[in-house]
Amino acid sequence: MSLITRLIFGPPKSDLEVLRPALYRIAYAWSHDAALADDLVQETLSKAWTRRSQLRDAQAVKPWAVSIMHHCWLDHLRSRRDFDDVDSLHDTLEASVDTPEQCCDREQVIACVRAAVAQLPLAQRQVLTLVDLEEFAYSEVASILDIPIGTVMSRLSRARSALKLILQRKMQSATSRPTLRRVK
Amino acid sequence: MSHHVSDEMLHAFVDGELDVAESENLIAQMRDNEALSQRVCDLSSLKNMVQLAYAAPPRYGSGAVHDRGLRRRRLVQRCAYACLFLTLGLSAGWMVRGVGSTEPVAYWEGREVVSLAVEADPGKILLHIDSGLPEKMLDVLDQAERYLDQAEAQGRAIQLEVVANSRGLNLLRAGFSPYADRIAQMRQRHANLHFIACSQSVARFAADGEDVELLPVAQTAPTAIGEIVSRLQQGWTYVRI
Repeated sequence: MSLITRLIFGPPKSDLEVLRPALYRIAYAWSHDAALADDLVQETLSKAWTRRSQLRDAQAVKPWAVSIMHHCWLDHLRSRRDFDDVDSLHDTLEASVDTPEQCCDREQVIACVRAAVAQLPLAQRQVLTLVDLEEFAYSEVASILDIPIGTVMSRLSRARSALKLILQRKMQSATSRPTLRRVK
Repeated sequence: MSHHVSDEMLHAFVDGELDVAESENLIAQMRDNEALSQRVCDLSSLKNMVQLAYAAPPRYGSGAVHDRGLRRRRLVQRCAYACLFLTLGLSAGWMVRGVGSTEPVAYWEGREVVSLAVEADPGKILLHIDSGLPEKMLDVLDQAERYLDQAEAQGRAIQLEVVANSRGLNLLRAGFSPYADRIAQMRQRHANLHFIACSQSVARFAADGEDVELLPVAQTAPTAIGEIVSRLQQGWTYVRI
């Protein structure tokens, strides 16, 4: 595809499709629901394709797509009848997954970390996952979520402090896990 | 000089958001401030854990990749588990030797032992030294020799690695190691014995202006923690000296 075509019509479908794994990872980390994450990604890619001519910087296709997904996610939250204030929802919503304690009892440490992440308020979870999973710059996260960069930093700081606390609490009781064996 | 470094600043450092001058300034402070180093280490490990936890999220409606995904998730799970232990269990003694202590995980002949294997393999042992005390160096060599001799006497195959980082790196430094001759002899006697130096520690010494020359028998790993996590994944038993 020529540069001019790309400028006029936006990124080709393959450039968008290649983002699917990353988008799914982010969507899953936000929602902890595989079906919902799949839906979000599908809707995001569909909207990105429709709006592809709006993308002016081909290098920024990923943050642009994630930004679309963020809005799809907000739309989904708004559509939930039990929440009508997305801002307050951001501070309270936790994914409906098991607690870290329950997960670690079943020796599922991955689930344990995910459960700990899921316990974070949604706004913090979004920032944490964008920075840690996809290594977006703070400025990109600010742009994707449409918040000031200072807010990105404070949410990230709070998220990591809370996460560390949850996991530390868990690890104190995990030292007696049956997977550890005395070597004779 | 030491002043409090905010959490936000440390997060920015770990996330590569600081410019070169700010990063260098922070690294200089970390050299003199072990608590600060510990905070950075914790943050970095936490970030790694989150990455590992979502490296292979469950796929929706994708049966074809289920088994492969499951296997990968198990691998990631073990890795995350290792990180959990190393971060939250052992990290108190990781970068900040002697500061804080953790609940013992398990004991083997009076030593702290960690294994991720359901049945830990006594034939694969990793001894970790991060102390520059001569008695610790002597201890790690004595232990290694004892395990090797025992296995030899019993006709058991054994693999043993001695991983050195931080000040423990001096064990493997030419001109610094008080046991260079003994290490050479041990290596000559036991083909199944390996001495691994942490490249990150080497770089840290070099950044301090020290010329780091390793003993000829020493091999290197990018990071000690990476080597330990990798070996734990493979069923090795970790013993901290």
